[in-house]
Amino acid sequence: MEAVISIRNVGKRFNAVQALCGVSFDVLPGELHAVMGENGAGKSTLMKILSGVIDDYEGELWVAGQLQRFTGTRDAERVGISIIHQELNLVEQLSVAANIFLGREARGPLGLLNQREMDRQAGDLLQQLESSLSPSAMVSSLRVGDQQLIEIAKALSLNSSILIMDEPTSALTEAEVARLYGVIERLRRRGVTILYISHKMDEVFRLADRITVLRDGEFVKTVDRASTTPREIAHLMVGRELEVSRPRARSPEQPVVLQVKRLSLVWPGHSKAWRLNQVSFDLQRGEILGIAGLMGAGRTELLECLFGASALAPSGEILLRGKPQQFRHPADAMKAGIAMVTEDRKRLGLFSHMNVRENISLCGIESLAQLGMIRRAKERKATEQQIQQLCVKTDGTEASINSLSGGNQQKCILARCMLIEPQVLLLDDPTRGVDVGAKAELYRLMEQLAASGMSIIVTSSELPELLTVSDRILVLSEGVLTGEFSRAEATEQKIMEAATQQATRQTG
Amino acid sequence: MSANESGIVNRLLATVEIKLILAWLIVVAATILLDPGRTYLNNPGSTAELIVRNTVFLGFFALGSAVIIISGGIDLSSGSVIALSATVFSSLLLLIDPEGFRAGEIQTGVVCIAAAGTLLVGAMVGTLNAWLITAAGLPPFIATLATMVGLRSFGRGLILAVTGNRSQIDFPDLELRDALKDVTSVSLVFLVFAVGIWFLMSRTVIGRHLHAMGGNEAAAKLSGIRTDRLKWLAYVIGAVSASMVGIVYFADQGSAKPDILARGYELNAIAASVIGGCALTGGIGTIPGTILGCLFLRTVIDAVNKIVGTGADVYEGMIVGIVVVLAVTFSQRGTASTQRAFFATRIGWAAVPVLSLISGISFVLFFREKPWYSPSYAVAFGVVVAACLIVRGLFESKRGK
Repeated sequence: MEAVISIRNVGKRFNAVQALCGVSFDVLPGELHAVMGENGAGKSTLMKILSGVIDDYEGELWVAGQLQRFTGTRDAERVGISIIHQELNLVEQLSVAANIFLGREARGPLGLLNQREMDRQAGDLLQQLESSLSPSAMVSSLRVGDQQLIEIAKALSLNSSILIMDEPTSALTEAEVARLYGVIERLRRRGVTILYISHKMDEVFRLADRITVLRDGEFVKTVDRASTTPREIAHLMVGRELEVSRPRARSPEQPVVLQVKRLSLVWPGHSKAWRLNQVSFDLQRGEILGIAGLMGAGRTELLECLFGASALAPSGEILLRGKPQQFRHPADAMKAGIAMVTEDRKRLGLFSHMNVRENISLCGIESLAQLGMIRRAKERKATEQQIQQLCVKTDGTEASINSLSGGNQQKCILARCMLIEPQVLLLDDPTRGVDVGAKAELYRLMEQLAASGMSIIVTSSELPELLTVSDRILVLSEGVLTGEFSRAEATEQKIMEAATQQATRQTG
Repeated sequence: MSANESGIVNRLLATVEIKLILAWLIVVAATILLDPGRTYLNNPGSTAELIVRNTVFLGFFALGSAVIIISGGIDLSSGSVIALSATVFSSLLLLIDPEGFRAGEIQTGVVCIAAAGTLLVGAMVGTLNAWLITAAGLPPFIATLATMVGLRSFGRGLILAVTGNRSQIDFPDLELRDALKDVTSVSLVFLVFAVGIWFLMSRTVIGRHLHAMGGNEAAAKLSGIRTDRLKWLAYVIGAVSASMVGIVYFADQGSAKPDILARGYELNAIAASVIGGCALTGGIGTIPGTILGCLFLRTVIDAVNKIVGTGADVYEGMIVGIVVVLAVTFSQRGTASTQRAFFATRIGWAAVPVLSLISGISFVLFFREKPWYSPSYAVAFGVVVAACLIVRGLFESKRGK
């Protein structure tokens, strides 16, 4: 069969870093071709070249038998290639329909915007995605999961014959992932070729026809899905065997560190009235407590309340080591010994204009200062120590934070929390957009921290992840606690039932 | 090792500070060559004094402005705060010691009280700005736009009330006036102030927090930084620095006229910060850079005055505008400024006649009173500029292919 995309000896260098080197492989028409590799393997760089985002590269790119050299995404779109980026690319101040047709707006006879036509077409596209989003809804009011659907709808509207999806499920809940699988199935029946970048083994093995593995910017191998195993792929990706995390030995009864009693958070102007409703639970010393729930179930809101970061003050009680607490500001929570790693790393975590040292030392800077003056030697030493402990891969403390991969940036944010030596650590979807190798390291870190006596609350959009790391799992559904499972009794089935419980009761 | 050393040299050359020093030296050299009066060579002392005076006056509130810009805000009110402070200072002198005021001999104690009162008013204005921004939730641009307009008018009302319907207060005490506007002592005060602000911004926890907040406010808050208090501090520093200028400026100008004093100066302060490397998006910028930005800006203005000769302050705005555009364009990182197509786009071609026309007319404005002037020179100059831009545009479009 004639290849629809031929990549020939493609290389790309960013200053000192060789991001891609002599990569060659073919993509066949109509196939779902997965591209896998750890962060820094060059997947995203390759996709940016394919979609016209990067135009200065070495090597050749053939699309449908034609040599192409895109100078922009418009060029790529013209030959039928669309990309859905991992980091969403939406104008939050505009409506769903306006985003889908941004730059290609429908016009009426006078050249004025034809809003009705755009709304209608956007509605059709969203229906194809089995989404009930309103085309006139403001994007800023939507959660990450829904925002991503808009990106997919946008690519659909271009009628692309080749679709690149860069980690499309990284922010989706299980239900949305199932919906996406349906969409992918329909696209394939139309004959769309899909290049699918993912870290998730089960996903790739479910969807892909062929799998290409990249490592350190180089092509490793392309294999048929039918003739390989997840174990082999993981081996190809990291060049070594991944250790499977073992259940930890933990003495069952430990003193309670954090008690939450009837915690509620109002939702003004919303039909549901409550973001959180009468949530109560305990957290023991050295325990890893997982919070499961669909998108919008209140996972993030719960952590924000515990960290004093919610816009409105919650009602109910929060007791830390038996003492009632009222956090009005994250500074209060941190003083009391609670630290948080936020969900949206780029927007709420990173200081992209600062270097690695400044990013890590920020929260603990008071303890590295005397009379308000920063003691630089002490600061550098403390950061170097954290970099070593968390195995952050960086070109020293003075490197730009932007030069690090997603997983290493996340470790820097974790290091920032570590510097205040918290007793309770809140992790909001800490492995979002992080590759397999770094994920395993983050799990290992969490277990180490818990073993040293730190209590951890973690949320995740991936159930297998929660099942791997948690000692206990709480399930939220529309702001209500609907299930609690120990490590031994928890299964994906039970958690999904609890997570959808309230929703079915309300709609039914 | 040698690779490492050249890396350090390259990094040094890439800093705004070094670029500004080099650009400044070029401007000084050009002035020495082109100035028909040869003032730099014949009269170095007074020339230096003039430039230092102007740099220091601008420097005070430009530093305040830089702190606010680095913290992620903007202060449009500093010009009005200068005017209000001059009004308050003169009014306090008049109200506390009317006898001495009339006699032209004001006691040092009275001066100190009036100065302290003026700085306190500055702190109060800063608090007002910070309150509008943090508690009322206004964007800094809107909040300080309101105080910019409001405070100037407030000052005009104040002076009417204090003087009984006069619109200005003249400086009463000649000796005091000379003391307050003395370049050496004002420069020393500025040096102390600048070192203090530099230390605050680059060596302290507060400075680190200001940088962090400027770059990513939401993340800063979630890192336990009390952003509202930091904003208060930034706006108080900004307003108090403007108040200091108000006192000095009252002496320098010889009268407090709130309707015209320091009008538009807030934009010069912002321009100097930007030339000095502060990013209006916040988080980025240095104090030495800002001071060099002030020095560079004032030197260029002085140089044009010397070379053109006439119309000292008329062209100041034009010069500030051009310097800001050039400084920001050429300080853009990496290949952006060398690889960019300035004229090989539709808007670029449309800009060619605009720039040529401005150049030709500016030629008339600057040189019409020179003995050698003739209109045909101005036309020729405009044509030459147009030709240069077209050649550049053709070169760019060829390179693009």
